[in-house]
Amino acid sequence: MADRSFQTVSTAVDPTAVRQPIDDVDEIVRTTAGQLLEVLARLKSQGYAQLTDVGGVDYLERSPRFDVVYHLTALPTRASGVADVGRPKRARVLCGVDDGAAVPSAVRLWPNADWPEREVFDLFGITFGDHPDLRRIQMPADWEGHPLRKDYPLRGPARDRTPRPPFANKENVGSRVPPTGEVAERLRQEIFERMRGERSGESEATS
Amino acid sequence: MSANQLFLAKLDEAARWAQSSSVWPLTMGLACCAIEMMVIPAPQYDISRIGSEVFRSSPRQADLMIVSGRVSHKMAPIVRRLYEQMAEPKWVISMGACASSGGVFDNYAILQGVDQVIPVDVYVPGCPPTPDGLIYAINLIQQQIRTGGRGGILARA
Amino acid sequence: MSNLPEWIAGAGNRPDLDPTAVLTPEPPEVVARGDDEMVLSMGPQHPSTHGVLQVVLGIDGEEVVRAEPEIGYLHTGIEKTAENLFWNQALTVIDRMDYLGPLTNDFAFCLGVERLLRITDRIPRRAQQIRVMFAELTRITSHCIWLGTHAIDLGAISPFFYAVDLRENILDLIEAASGARMNMTYFRVGGVNGDLPDGWLERLDALIAKFPGRMRDLRDLLQKNPIWTDREIGVGIISAAEAVAWGLTGPALRASGVAYDLRKAYPYSTYDEYEFDVPTRTEGDSYARFLVRLDEMEEAMRIVQQVRKKLDPGPVMVDDPTISLPPKPSIGISMESLIYHFKLVSEGFRVPPGDVYAAVEGPRGEVGYYIVSNGENRPWRVRTRPASFYNLQALKKIAAGNLIADVVVMIGSLDPVFGEVDR
Repeated sequence: MADRSFQTVSTAVDPTAVRQPIDDVDEIVRTTAGQLLEVLARLKSQGYAQLTDVGGVDYLERSPRFDVVYHLTALPTRASGVADVGRPKRARVLCGVDDGAAVPSAVRLWPNADWPEREVFDLFGITFGDHPDLRRIQMPADWEGHPLRKDYPLRGPARDRTPRPPFANKENVGSRVPPTGEVAERLRQEIFERMRGERSGESEATS
Repeated sequence: MSANQLFLAKLDEAARWAQSSSVWPLTMGLACCAIEMMVIPAPQYDISRIGSEVFRSSPRQADLMIVSGRVSHKMAPIVRRLYEQMAEPKWVISMGACASSGGVFDNYAILQGVDQVIPVDVYVPGCPPTPDGLIYAINLIQQQIRTGGRGGILARA
Repeated sequence: MSNLPEWIAGAGNRPDLDPTAVLTPEPPEVVARGDDEMVLSMGPQHPSTHGVLQVVLGIDGEEVVRAEPEIGYLHTGIEKTAENLFWNQALTVIDRMDYLGPLTNDFAFCLGVERLLRITDRIPRRAQQIRVMFAELTRITSHCIWLGTHAIDLGAISPFFYAVDLRENILDLIEAASGARMNMTYFRVGGVNGDLPDGWLERLDALIAKFPGRMRDLRDLLQKNPIWTDREIGVGIISAAEAVAWGLTGPALRASGVAYDLRKAYPYSTYDEYEFDVPTRTEGDSYARFLVRLDEMEEAMRIVQQVRKKLDPGPVMVDDPTISLPPKPSIGISMESLIYHFKLVSEGFRVPPGDVYAAVEGPRGEVGYYIVSNGENRPWRVRTRPASFYNLQALKKIAAGNLIADVVVMIGSLDPVFGEVDR
């Protein structure tokens, strides 16, 4: 009873691979900042009427460093009942961005891209070209730094606050950047083996 | 004791009785604790019986600031400004773990305790504290008013 | 106060902190266009903004020319905090996003992590059914607070008491099963944390019996009240196309005509086994959103009744000792249990590398999580798709041309929760 998703390789961790979806979205596209608007416009014309979310991920030691992740949903734009809505298609667009590079803004395609792009700028420092109002949204206007970057300390830059006991250790950066390709696959298999082995109490070969 | 001192002492006691029986909170509801704060005027908990059901939105009309919820660095100057706008005598309850000490959020965004910007009289632990806990805190404030501390006829800090 | 240890900071304990210093917040860069426009800041401390929202209004007399919501006053860094906690620990902070419907956040996060772990089909049926039941009860409690506070904003105080009474009855049940009234973190990766206590189902029956009467009360108070209808009908109209374009989901989208409900579109966790309708209206105004939410409360109770009848016996956590804690009594007698418990509590479990987007239908709409794992015992990135964030953004569009009092109605009918908007 092989779970087919064992063979998947995640696009998140390996920017060069487009993988089989693990059933969460119907279409995954990896692109660069130069082709982003073209890809998004194409998807919009194919029926993806709603921009569900725009988010950022910092991969730190990967090149390109950041990913701006767009989730799209193909909703009907007229009043429709449950049967007409059916099961809308979903798409994910991953755009790799280097530190300091800019990404075109999707605000002309979907007006609700305004705030999430401001948030990605605020928390990651990724600028969006021709965004109508690119300023900080979550942090105070005079804040320095972009908090959700992996090299930004969790507790903020050094400031006057209560000291913590030495055993409460919270280092900020995870010890490993997400592995890619073969290494990721091997790690996945290792974890699944362990889960299955512990469950049945004996080691069994992957089927 | 002279007649004057006796008169003033009794007047002070009367003033304190009046103040403690009508502590009006300021609506400083920030996050989850605000929901528990909102249900205390409701029939289940009913702080009307201790005189506090009148939540004032304007700091000029409120005696008690219940800081309920996590205070971010963006919100801190506003909390401070509202505290300054309240008229004397005023009291502060820091409701919940986040307002008391930063709570579960020991990070860049949250003030590690609202007492870094305003002085606090009663801290209420919990995440969120049950409404019973908050009512007990208001009772402690009432006790503080009646038995010394700020308030009375002088009404100065 | 000065005899406290020095490391306890406090304005009273820190003579170097100047108590008379006024920390003035920076106003946003808003420039009035035209001589007739005045800039008024509504919030962030305001009785009717449902939390810490600042709406900078450009007004011409009483009419709003522009509205620019300013958020971020409750930014908590939950997503970054979650990157430093184990997967089950991260659940505790993620709970505190949409704090009116805390199990919604848990639900979506657990579904995502379970997908990455590939254990979705091994979650016991009883756990899935309990999740459905608690998610629907949470939906009812969330709508109760929405109704109560929305009514108070408009001046009607009585519905608040009726709604909160209903909410208290439900919270008693939730507390009996999970241990807390709010932010209960009852769901865990792999199931729920502990079975329902004895006698719980009978108490649920009592609640189910009481519910129709209470709904009737709430409807009688407001639905045909001419003051209510005057203030709500025709206010804040959003067409279906606009609603989809602005990213609205949940009751706000359904009130504009598009019957998109994730429980029907992408059925998760046994939702496809229950019969329920998706209330939809086409007017798109605040009154339609109000009616849709009232109908949703009744549909939610309908689902709860069906789950109550169909509840399967069995375990409530996945049968995998590397993910779920062993039963507490076994720790004293079994060495393996002790070791698994120790490893899980001190190290957590590892989730295979990958990324996933998992969403559920929350009281405010589509609450989703884009979770990236690097193969370790902590998330690499947890990106929330916050329903209220997108719902609130639509305020920029619909507020113009209305009165200031209508802005209050619109904010209430969009039902934002700032734990989710600001995270």
